[in-house]
Amino acid sequence: MTDQIAQETADPGVNNEILEKNPELHGIGNYEYGWSDKNDAGANAKRGIDEDVVRDISSKKGEPEWMLNLRLKGLKYFERKPMPTWGADLSGIDFDNIKYFVRSTEQQATTWEDLPDDIKNTYDKLGIPEAEKQRLVSGVAAQYESEVVYHQLREDLESQGVVFLDTDTALRDYPEVFQEYFGSVIPVGDNKFGSLNTAVWSGGSFVYVPKGVHVDIPLQAYFRINTENMGQFERTLIIADEDSYVHYIEGCTAPIYQSDSLHSAVVEIIVKKGARVRYTTIQNWSNNVYNLVTKRAICEEGATMEWVDGNIGSKVTMKYPAVYLVGEHAKGETLSIAFAGEGQHQDTGSKMVHIAPNTSSSIVAKSVARNGGRSAYRGLVQVREGAKGVKNSVVCDALLVDQISRSDTYPYIDVREDDVTMGHEATVSRVSEEQLFYLMSRGMAEDEAMAMIVRGFIEPIARELPMEYALELNRLIELQMEGSVG
Amino acid sequence: MTDTATTLSGEKARIGSPSIAGFTEEGENLSPLNEDASPLGGDASKAHSHGAAAGIPQASRGERPTSYDLADFPALTGREEDWRFTPLKRLGGLHKAAPSADAPAVALAGSEGLALETVAMDDARVGSAGVPDDRVSANAWNAAKEATVLSIPAGAEGAEAILTIKGDSSEAAAQHVVIVAEPNSSSVVVLDHVGTAVLAQNVEVDVKEGAKLTLVSLQAWQNDAIHTSAQQAKVGKDAYYKHVAVTFGGDLVRLTPSARFDGPGAEAEMYGLYFADAGQHLEHRLLVDHNQPRCKSNVLYKGALQGKDAHTVWVGDVLIRKNAEGTDSYEANRNLVLTDGARADSVPNLEIETGQIEGAGHASTTGRFDDEHLFYLMARGIDEKTARRLVVRGFLNEIIQKIGVADLEDRLNETVEAELAATEN
Repeated sequence: MTDQIAQETADPGVNNEILEKNPELHGIGNYEYGWSDKNDAGANAKRGIDEDVVRDISSKKGEPEWMLNLRLKGLKYFERKPMPTWGADLSGIDFDNIKYFVRSTEQQATTWEDLPDDIKNTYDKLGIPEAEKQRLVSGVAAQYESEVVYHQLREDLESQGVVFLDTDTALRDYPEVFQEYFGSVIPVGDNKFGSLNTAVWSGGSFVYVPKGVHVDIPLQAYFRINTENMGQFERTLIIADEDSYVHYIEGCTAPIYQSDSLHSAVVEIIVKKGARVRYTTIQNWSNNVYNLVTKRAICEEGATMEWVDGNIGSKVTMKYPAVYLVGEHAKGETLSIAFAGEGQHQDTGSKMVHIAPNTSSSIVAKSVARNGGRSAYRGLVQVREGAKGVKNSVVCDALLVDQISRSDTYPYIDVREDDVTMGHEATVSRVSEEQLFYLMSRGMAEDEAMAMIVRGFIEPIARELPMEYALELNRLIELQMEGSVG
Repeated sequence: MTDTATTLSGEKARIGSPSIAGFTEEGENLSPLNEDASPLGGDASKAHSHGAAAGIPQASRGERPTSYDLADFPALTGREEDWRFTPLKRLGGLHKAAPSADAPAVALAGSEGLALETVAMDDARVGSAGVPDDRVSANAWNAAKEATVLSIPAGAEGAEAILTIKGDSSEAAAQHVVIVAEPNSSSVVVLDHVGTAVLAQNVEVDVKEGAKLTLVSLQAWQNDAIHTSAQQAKVGKDAYYKHVAVTFGGDLVRLTPSARFDGPGAEAEMYGLYFADAGQHLEHRLLVDHNQPRCKSNVLYKGALQGKDAHTVWVGDVLIRKNAEGTDSYEANRNLVLTDGARADSVPNLEIETGQIEGAGHASTTGRFDDEHLFYLMARGIDEKTARRLVVRGFLNEIIQKIGVADLEDRLNETVEAELAATEN
């Protein structure tokens, strides 16, 4: 990242005095992904939502009628469902001001060179083509505004029958699979924002892993919002057939604008008998994105679903990845980490629903709130009648580093069966003077010591990430912690 | 959608419909106890876009509105966060019309010199420690004809008062009780609810500076009673307040104990014990509001459930506000599910607005009793039936022994025995 870009996008909240005294800090602590590209498509896109907008999206994509009808039903639910009466303050969202569909390029590319220059440059700056070149990922999807602009899957996986496509193309190429699974995990009227997604969804990934196939290197999707007041509504559907394995990673960034954008995705995952899916998110939206996402997996007999959910950016995030354990011996796991800085509200958590006997789940959630930010863990663990021999554990830890930040815990536990073992535990602590003193007496600066304590705090989650992501996370923490003391 | 669906056959007809048991097109119903119409049909579909009341969610439990005026609380739908676990149909209308029957009689037995007073609702002590924070409580406040006041004199040592509240009617009634522990007194007060009633109650507890008060609220109702009770306490500087809720009886009991600190250095302990049988709905929602520096709180509720549709709800809200530096707080809820068909909800909430605290944590466990304990006892020659009883008794005894009134402890141990005997039959 060049200084020039960092300067252009300097956050007005950054303390200039500190920067003057410490020129080496220049560019640190600013959001690094805040540039925007010149764009005509975005500027001209229509604002607001009604039936015509929905019909227009569907016809532009040349969809079958059943999908249009489902979209219209989603729109009805969206219009009539009330805004949530819990969670974060969403009163800043102006649904009439949002652009629901922005087509940035006519043609999906399979080489980076085929992309329009400004879009290509964006992904270069984000380092995506480089990662692909180094074979750190086995498939890449890049979504820019409403549609996936670049798509590539390693040849050997393709020959094994792995499907990795953008969701629009998948609907054309695999209509049967689509009809079977689309909306089966997150139905059309599930919640207000899920319904909105059903109405105006565009882009996202479709993954199918055939029986017994192990995709040993992760598939990666990268989401970028460029237009101001853009709404991004990607729809992801992952089907892991019996005894297969796949790791899907997504990252997200957006420019910094004066007014807000909306990201409302729906992710449905079907994990069949004996399969295992890991879904990793490093969410780093700029601080003017409302991130309201519904993610849910259904886990069959002996299957495992793992959510690794990192929330660092956004203005408001409300996201509770869920696992429905419907087959015996299925297993669900969530590792969640949230950083809430100035002006941010991270309302995150997880939901585990035990429907079959002998299923197990665990949730580990860690959060750090600083500089007036608010982090909340909100979760549900439910054991339905008949789900005997269930085991569950929830551990949430929160770290408060100052006196103006806030940390909340809202864990819901609902047990309807006698033969269960479950527990919830939470601790909230502050960084103690002793810890700081210990490190500082060994020659560390206070900032450095604080960052080290925080790194240690989240280490159990960081070590579950692929290496380059763990490094990225560590770097982000250092940025986040910069100037947090003194 | 309907038109298209009919043209598709078999498997394809279920496009976009859910595959998870218990799901409808609208996902899961979050408050199955209070059925709600779909927004695509019936009255709700005529509502404005984005629903009727699209306000900003309360940012904190501390923002929940409080008022003496019933009109400030909208009619309940059952979807409200604080009512969604309560089956409104079984509330005996306490949330609707003003309860008009006479309040159950209150009789006092206890230390010499203590006396009950019956005062008008405009007495200065009414409203000294509480403000209603839900519709039923406000309804009861307005409907109460008089208030029963018990004062523990300043400096009293080891005073003991047992207030037997005996109901004998199934007509909706409202009751108001005020307990004042004057400065530097120490006392134990028991509210012993027996008989049957449809009762909305407000209990105010004013624990003044340096006072020590243990308040036990025992719900030993007959099985058809309906009882809501808002038990709000104001805990003064350096005062100590122990609240123990014990709920065995009643068809529906909803207790909302709270402790608000009124000066630094105070301590509140909130304990509870409940045992729900088939069909019973026992709900406890408590609030500890740390709004003063250097206060301590400890919360522990233990419950056992047995029988079809036995339902317990426990919600513990602990708030640590910005100025509550040096707070030390812990809350825990432990549930023992003894048979199938019972449902235990447990929600230990924690909101923390300052990092300058001694410590804060919470825990919740739900399960059946520990097989290891059972094995340990059986390996020593105790038969399984007796061993099970011993394990459950030990589990619940942790709360009973905190009461500190010997007669009452014996009575509760007997009640637990009787409940357990019922399990085996």
